[in-house]
Amino acid sequence: MTSHTYLVLTLVCYAVGALHVLLHALTRRRALGPLALVATLVGFALNTAGLSQRWTEAGRFPAVGLHDGASFLAWAIVLVFLATWVRTRVEALGLVVYPVVFGLALVAGLTRPSETSDPVLKSYFLPIHTTLALFGYAALFVACAMGILYLMQDRELRSRSPRAFYYLLPSLERCDTLGARIVAVGFGFLSLAIVTGLLWNENARGRFWTGDAKQWSAVVAWVIYLVLIAARRRSGWGGRRGAWLSIAGFSAVAFAWAWMALVSGVAVASR
Amino acid sequence: MIVVVGLSHHTAPLPVREALAFARDRLPEALARLRAEAGLDEAAILSTCNRVEVYGFSRRPDAADAIARFLAAYHARPEAEVIPHLYRLEGDAAVRHAFRVAASLDSMVLGEPQILGQVKAAYDDAAAAAALGAVLNALRNRSVGAARRARTETAIGKNAVSVSYVAVELARKIFGDLRDRNVLLVGAGKMSELAARHLVRSGARASVLGGRRFERAEELAAALGGRAAPFEALRDELGRAEIVISGTGAPGIVITRPDVEAASAVRRNRPLFLIDIAVPRDIEPEAGRVPGVFLYDLDDLKAVGEANLRERRKEAAAAEAIVEQEVAEFLAWRKSLDLVPVVVELRERAEEIRKSELAKARGRLGSLTPEQESAIEGLTSAIVNKLIHHPTVHLKEIASNGHAAEQVGFIRKLLGL
Repeated sequence: MTSHTYLVLTLVCYAVGALHVLLHALTRRRALGPLALVATLVGFALNTAGLSQRWTEAGRFPAVGLHDGASFLAWAIVLVFLATWVRTRVEALGLVVYPVVFGLALVAGLTRPSETSDPVLKSYFLPIHTTLALFGYAALFVACAMGILYLMQDRELRSRSPRAFYYLLPSLERCDTLGARIVAVGFGFLSLAIVTGLLWNENARGRFWTGDAKQWSAVVAWVIYLVLIAARRRSGWGGRRGAWLSIAGFSAVAFAWAWMALVSGVAVASR
Repeated sequence: MIVVVGLSHHTAPLPVREALAFARDRLPEALARLRAEAGLDEAAILSTCNRVEVYGFSRRPDAADAIARFLAAYHARPEAEVIPHLYRLEGDAAVRHAFRVAASLDSMVLGEPQILGQVKAAYDDAAAAAALGAVLNALRNRSVGAARRARTETAIGKNAVSVSYVAVELARKIFGDLRDRNVLLVGAGKMSELAARHLVRSGARASVLGGRRFERAEELAAALGGRAAPFEALRDELGRAEIVISGTGAPGIVITRPDVEAASAVRRNRPLFLIDIAVPRDIEPEAGRVPGVFLYDLDDLKAVGEANLRERRKEAAAAEAIVEQEVAEFLAWRKSLDLVPVVVELRERAEEIRKSELAKARGRLGSLTPEQESAIEGLTSAIVNKLIHHPTVHLKEIASNGHAAEQVGFIRKLLGL
């Protein structure tokens, strides 16, 4: 099978998962039914196979350009989501995660792989930097999803007339503490990704800082998360403000990813 | 035939239900009289504040009427006063009713958990009075099992509907774990005490703010394993608390927005859950606008309870499906019992024919050696056994897959039984 076939099958599985999660949430006030879980696991296996196939086809690590970037990010998000779910059993996370994973797989399916053959991409920094970055993005996305759940539950509680979400979502406290823990993990990955990115730059271009939008957005995101973590430690910041900060931080991260994926298909190194 | 005769909140007003209630300690005697007067082989009496029902098994066709007359006679009421309120269910309908009652699908508050315990107790009492046999015992086991399935596989029993439980559930939605959370009671009313008890049972710590009668606050604090504080300490206590239940009889506002703001300043952004169950209200509605504060008054709690009840109603369909499936299995099992006599009869009839035919032929055969005798015995038995082997196996098969009922008549005709 070609990597594209794998990708189409992955897309089908994620679509089944996403649909089932939404329907299940509406009818049964649960998010993750057995069917969705099976579809996710099969989809994840196919996604993995597709990425490794793509690695062979492209002759380099499959994380360059929109096609590979989206497919890889979907893979990383599913992995982080499953890890989070296994540890915390917060099913409602699926409500935010599944549509995005499906969207990413769809984007990957609709775009052509990047054919760029910049010598910079032969560097061993490519797999190291992109893996760190994508895991960071995935974790920060899941943290952002927790923030969204927090705000949704907060709204339900303030409305004083519970609707579907009230029953589905975890408590505010849980969204808050889990969100903070996942941010800490994502922040670690992001920091390492920034460091390796700078090193790669230096290695390929002879200077650490090239000052492109991607570098800037990554640094902005890093600062936002630093503020979030520090404010939480020092003065018990959290709750709604924490959730909004987490969402803001991820917006910067998303911009960095989009820049990597869309602009010329080659990230930091080529600018 | 299984019969159910009784009344419930659906059919009878409270005075009638009260008049027909059975005292638990007099149940053995009542069951004995019931079985004798109504001619029941087996009987159980379920008596709760919302229903009085007799479950019976009898071969008499007029068992239901007899039970109805017994209910009036036992409680010394004129029949005309009692009988119009009674429902009488027989056969499949009675079984279905027994299952639905146990699963709390017939309850006044849908999905309430007490009824299952009451049903179990009713059967236990009947068993203790030696009034249960194979039929009602099977009904007990299957209906209790179905009720448990309905509770675990659907959310029919989830989501609180009473005000005090709603408050606890909301607290869980805000704080998650309630262990070591601080609950502050302002005023020592009945309902705030009830809610506080639920919270303390979940691991929260209580403190009670006293008003004019400080002894009352101290008593309540002792009962809750917490401490009492004078009303003047309101702001300090608010700063410490995560959950506040206010239910004083005061005519005006007791906790103002500035009080809550002052408390928020020392709380370091921890959320504060204010529950105002007083009428007129104790807490200034504006206090709910302070960041991190969730304010619910009595109407809000009731609204949440109603929303929760709607959730339960949605789940009821799923629970009904489970119960219906279990009822169908039970009925099929009951009907499969009808085939057991058919199998026995078939064997007896075949053996009878063999013996009489053998006797007729034996005369013509003259004298035989014992070996020949036994050979003929063996031969005829073997033929008969071979012939009825297949029908017997098939009958058992039909019985086990639950299609017996509709085929019993046909099978009897076919086999000439």
